[in-house]
Amino acid sequence: MDQNRKAAIAKKVRHGLMILALLILFVIVVFPFVLVLINAFKVKADITGDPLRLIGKHGFTLANFGAAMEKMNFWTVFGNSLMITSCATILTIFFSSMTAHLIVRNNWKANKILFVLMVASMVIPFQVLMIPLVSLYGGIFGVLNHRITLILMHVGFSVSMATFMFHGAINTNVPISLEEAATIDGCTKWQTFWQIGFPILKPTIATVAIIDAMAFWNDYLLPSLVLGRKEIYTIPIATKVFYGTYSTDTGLIMAALLLAMLPILLLYLFLQRYIVEGITAGAVK
Amino acid sequence: MNSKTEIQTQFEEMAKAYTEKTGVEVEVYNADTDTTVASQVATRYASNDPYTITMVDAKDIYALADEYAYDLSNEDWASHTKLGITVNGKLAGFPFCVEARGLIYNAEAIEKITGEEFKPENYATLDAFKGLLDQLKAGGMEQPTAILSEYWSLGAHYFAEVYEQQKDPDAFVNGLLGGTEDLDNNAKFNELMDTFDVLKEYNYMKGSAANADREESSMKLAAGDVAFMFGGNWDWSVIKEYDHSDKMGIMPVPENTSDSTNTTLVGGGTKYLFVDASDNTSDEQRKAALDFLNWLVSDADGNAFLTESCALVPAFDQVTADALDPLSTSVKEYADAGLIATYDFLPDDHMTVVGQEIMQKYLDDAMSRAEMAAAVEEYFKSATPIKH
Amino acid sequence: MKTNSLGYKVRQYLLFAGVTTFLFVAVVIVPFFYGLYLTFTRYDGVSTSKPFVGLDNYIAAFGDTDYWVSLGRTFVFSAIAVVLVNLFAFVLAYMVTTGIRGQNFFRAGFFIPNLIGGIVLGYVWKFVFNKALVQLSDMIGSGHAKSLLATPTGAMAALIIVSVWQYAGYMMLIYVAGFMSVSEDVIEAAKIDGCTGTQSIIHISIPLMTASFVQCLFLTITRCFMVYDVNFSLTGGDPYGDSVLAAMHVYNTAFQDKKFGLGQAEALILFVVCAIVGGLQVYVGKKAEVQA
Repeated sequence: MDQNRKAAIAKKVRHGLMILALLILFVIVVFPFVLVLINAFKVKADITGDPLRLIGKHGFTLANFGAAMEKMNFWTVFGNSLMITSCATILTIFFSSMTAHLIVRNNWKANKILFVLMVASMVIPFQVLMIPLVSLYGGIFGVLNHRITLILMHVGFSVSMATFMFHGAINTNVPISLEEAATIDGCTKWQTFWQIGFPILKPTIATVAIIDAMAFWNDYLLPSLVLGRKEIYTIPIATKVFYGTYSTDTGLIMAALLLAMLPILLLYLFLQRYIVEGITAGAVK
Repeated sequence: MNSKTEIQTQFEEMAKAYTEKTGVEVEVYNADTDTTVASQVATRYASNDPYTITMVDAKDIYALADEYAYDLSNEDWASHTKLGITVNGKLAGFPFCVEARGLIYNAEAIEKITGEEFKPENYATLDAFKGLLDQLKAGGMEQPTAILSEYWSLGAHYFAEVYEQQKDPDAFVNGLLGGTEDLDNNAKFNELMDTFDVLKEYNYMKGSAANADREESSMKLAAGDVAFMFGGNWDWSVIKEYDHSDKMGIMPVPENTSDSTNTTLVGGGTKYLFVDASDNTSDEQRKAALDFLNWLVSDADGNAFLTESCALVPAFDQVTADALDPLSTSVKEYADAGLIATYDFLPDDHMTVVGQEIMQKYLDDAMSRAEMAAAVEEYFKSATPIKH
Repeated sequence: MKTNSLGYKVRQYLLFAGVTTFLFVAVVIVPFFYGLYLTFTRYDGVSTSKPFVGLDNYIAAFGDTDYWVSLGRTFVFSAIAVVLVNLFAFVLAYMVTTGIRGQNFFRAGFFIPNLIGGIVLGYVWKFVFNKALVQLSDMIGSGHAKSLLATPTGAMAALIIVSVWQYAGYMMLIYVAGFMSVSEDVIEAAKIDGCTGTQSIIHISIPLMTASFVQCLFLTITRCFMVYDVNFSLTGGDPYGDSVLAAMHVYNTAFQDKKFGLGQAEALILFVVCAIVGGLQVYVGKKAEVQA
């Protein structure tokens, strides 16, 4: 009895210490965000002069947000970002889950080659592909400056990682017997996948969704190459206006950063309970 | 495309007004800052989608003009400037503005301590200048100078003057490329570095000089916490964001020298516009582009845009400029008397190698002057010259 | 139904993987080989002509000492960053799977740095290092503190700190998954046999989590080797160009120095190095997994 109580106290102390450690680390992790939050409401002179102060000498201001929104044409670029991110994410999930299913269920040579190429491509630095990409699709085919091109390119770049994750998940989480039963009942492979396999993959779908949506939402380099027209800019490109080599508008950057972060934060909070499960499924191959 | 990002807002407002007045659609694209302007122009050309008018640095004009630039020599404004760039017989670059570099001073802060009017011409020699710094120090301004640590400032601006102040910059650079110049014993190199040593000595960031923050340095200068900062009239766009004195100006870098380089600013046309000559731009677009350049020079609104809303020193003799900011006012005064030309043919990686790898070390006292001279000589031996 | 005929296979393949294959080949494989071709030319990125120069670019790449120095720096950076990221991630994962209060909150919280990306992140951290931390230490200590970014070693340390900050949360989730896949029964059995908590982690959990380690190491190694954004916006190579990592050197060579063919050749060397290190790690990991 006494022994048990001792053990329980020891456990409590241990847990308390761990919570304390986690809290300290958490504060460090969010420190930069807090700083952004504080400084977004200050004028530039106060940001440079006294970055840690809650409210600057020149007072609290919302002007950064108004100016940032106007300069970056916020609602237009927000719409573009939203459309590009959501289309590309949905298409990536759609195509890569199917591909993964094909690869897992059929031991064909073509599948193996595709899978190996995909895994290998994950270590290609983007800089290697960037000029060839532009010369080919801009110079030869002339298809840049369309949102649809960017969406398809996003999908092309992200299918390898997504297929890889679905591959792991289908391997471990979708029982083959279930699919075989469905086939005997007269389902085609297509129906089997969408009715049986896909719903089971929900956690992985959530994970791929958040990871890709984040990547697309924040990506700068690829959109900057593809989108050369103002009316189709995405948020990261529009935000670029605020960093000059010879002048940096710190207040506007902070404000723009907050504005750009909010939607993805909401998506994350909405999906986060699936994510741990999703990564579990992908991790165990 | 605009590569002078600090005037982006003015540009956009102008575009709106211009469209309303003339019906010509103008869209302004801002250059990125994490890629070089040349690489952005490159990707646009690689994708057959160039800008109609592109603003680039002088050096890029030489690289791009042959293949892409339209000949502007028949334009009316061509005879009103000496700063246009001609490549292979065609006038390719429209000089957007005149900029010059030197020491920016905060006269108000200096006068507060010395009690007498600050006349920059009295401090042209290093000895006199150092005397002033000591006086400021004694008067309570502990560290009266600021040096920007950015590699473009150190390499492409300060160190570049070593070449520009030579009698024949081209011969000098060719000598370096050929390995025949002895930099360590070069008079101009030593004169400029003597001054640099003094600036270093009084630098408010001494100790971690290579990490000086441009915003903070500008803020200190604006407020008079420091009295001098090496820079150019473009720095006004940063300074004006802070609580600043209007009694500021720009003066030549002081030197103990026998030539006149310590009474003349180094500068010239910076930022050139060129019009695309390729088939990707229609004749109609090109016509509109030429009209726009003319508008900048000969229309009152165009002039006002250049000299008032952007506060730039015009490169054309018929354009008047009365409403300039304090720094540009000094630049204009010096420019009217003649400037030392900038040298636009330094190798592409000069700025990063000499500015970052060499000058930052020297600034931080991590390299001696002899080592610096040797390193620069060594760099030039393997550098790729710019053909011109 | 003939599920073995070639026609059936082709139809199935096109139905399930046709679009994927097309897009993947179009945006990754084709540009990759076109880029390979460019390494045999002298191309400044602007001019319309691309004269063929054979192996010149590769010879130049092997003679470019700055490149090899930056690659060496990348090795050191990656080695330290990979170890620290995984160490933090593993410890965090352990703590948030012990059933303590608020563990879901912490799981979500540590993932937050992943929500903002690239260039902006570097700017924010530069602000933190140069302004906030300097001001903070001025308030605590005496005299003007030096920013971490002022010295070459400090700048590299800053890059490592930011990488740990950025990736630890993500890797933590993979380890959390690993911990959860180790069944309770095994741990209980170990406890009954007299194992302490630490012992059961070392002897039971870690071997069973090899798959998680392989995945995390692969991801961190490749990301560290290819890091560009943060390098650019946090240090920009300052001071003295002593914090330029390989990807940034490649980028500068290609775009700043306008030696596109050379930059592309150096990028390919980076790719090969990265693939070898990544591949080796997966190979060793898989072997360990089989033995465990």
